Amino acid sequence: MKSEVLPTDEQIMEAVKNGDLQQAAVLFDRYHKRIFNFLARMAMDRDMAEDLTQNVFLRMIKYRGSYREGNKFMPWIYQLARNIFSDHYQAGKNKYTGFLDVEKMSDTRADSEESKWQDDREELLQRSMARLDEEQRELLVLTRFQHLKYEEVAAMLDTTVANIKVKVHRAISKLREHYFELEKLG
Amino acid sequence: METEKLESLLIDYIDGKLSSGERAMVEKELAENESAARLYEQLKQLMSQIDRAQKFEPSASLKLNFGKVLHQEISNSKSRPTFPETSVGKQVFLQPMILRIAAGFIFVMVCVGIGYWINKNNEQQREITRLRQEMDSTKRMMMTMMTNQQSASQRMLGVAASYQMEKPDDEIVNALLKTLNEDPNTNVRLAALEALGKFHQQEHVRTVLINALAKQKDPVVQISLIRLMVEMKEKSVIKELDRITKDKEIIKAVKDEAYSGLLKLS
Repeated sequence: MKSEVLPTDEQIMEAVKNGDLQQAAVLFDRYHKRIFNFLARMAMDRDMAEDLTQNVFLRMIKYRGSYREGNKFMPWIYQLARNIFSDHYQAGKNKYTGFLDVEKMSDTRADSEESKWQDDREELLQRSMARLDEEQRELLVLTRFQHLKYEEVAAMLDTTVANIKVKVHRAISKLREHYFELEKLG
Repeated sequence: METEKLESLLIDYIDGKLSSGERAMVEKELAENESAARLYEQLKQLMSQIDRAQKFEPSASLKLNFGKVLHQEISNSKSRPTFPETSVGKQVFLQPMILRIAAGFIFVMVCVGIGYWINKNNEQQREITRLRQEMDSTKRMMMTMMTNQQSASQRMLGVAASYQMEKPDDEIVNALLKTLNEDPNTNVRLAALEALGKFHQQEHVRTVLINALAKQKDPVVQISLIRLMVEMKEKSVIKELDRITKDKEIIKAVKDEAYSGLLKLS
């Protein structure tokens, strides 16, 4: 039996650009969890990440005219998310402080011993991430949490793969220092 | 071995990205060097913790709200069939508040018209005064909305309301310009640009738009501004466009737009 080939993100975005707005729902379904996770890890605040995610897709619809046919969709939508994030934190009162309010990130807390241990590790990881500067945190979120390829991130940030690799390795090293320092402090 | 180089090799080792020669070298180092082994253990623990990291689930309201926004945008685009699709990125949302302001305008105009027919002299004078007052209060409302620091959507509504005006006065133009240059939200800045673009026939507006090109840093606004300059056939920006194509700080998409602008204007 011949399987149906799904349209690519780029084909769908071109349809949206040409006026078939309903298709934007397909792109939302494909990408909203990734964009939400990216923004949640960047903003360290899940409610805020929901608002910002909503803005990303609103901007995708409103500025569909700025999508260039032939360009990859994924870097474009991530670029919108990065702009929305930096717009938000550029406004003085929303300045990102690097302080992690655990309540803003956690789900309901686990009760078994094993999942409690995993929760503690997750919290330790989030606290360590909060200590990184924005550039390092973004690189780790994109490459390690979102599993984007170095090539994709390099294209998005308009730099070389070698440069991204060096920066990611330095960010892991910094994260390792914070992680084990915080672990020692308990 | 230098620590930074060793750590980098260990990361690649854990990721399984080393050649067999490099792998053998790392394994030898791990067997002989206790601090390398400690570093390896820490990295392995950290990286596996990242791999196990929680995937956050957004609440159901995110999808619901998106559905509403999409529905609204579809009905808006149906009610504006005359806009060419290539320029849809620059449209300003019509919100119920705007419709109310517009309806208010029409109502006042109808009242004035009826007044004119009923009473030619005194009545006419009174109605005109009332119209002026209505316009003044609408203008004040727009200005208040535009300067609302708490809410980007209120500022957006204020900007969109000015878009409905036939000929804005200097006060409105200055408020729009301030929004274009200083508003923290890109959507609001773009809406201000769209509104100013509508009044580009006025010399004062034209000049402020040309000056804004050198000040803007947001790529989305820069691209829209360049497109507007091309539409205005404004040749005096050629030098600035040329500078943009050479500026290393500016991203490729903006440079592309500047190149295309240069081609069309020169």
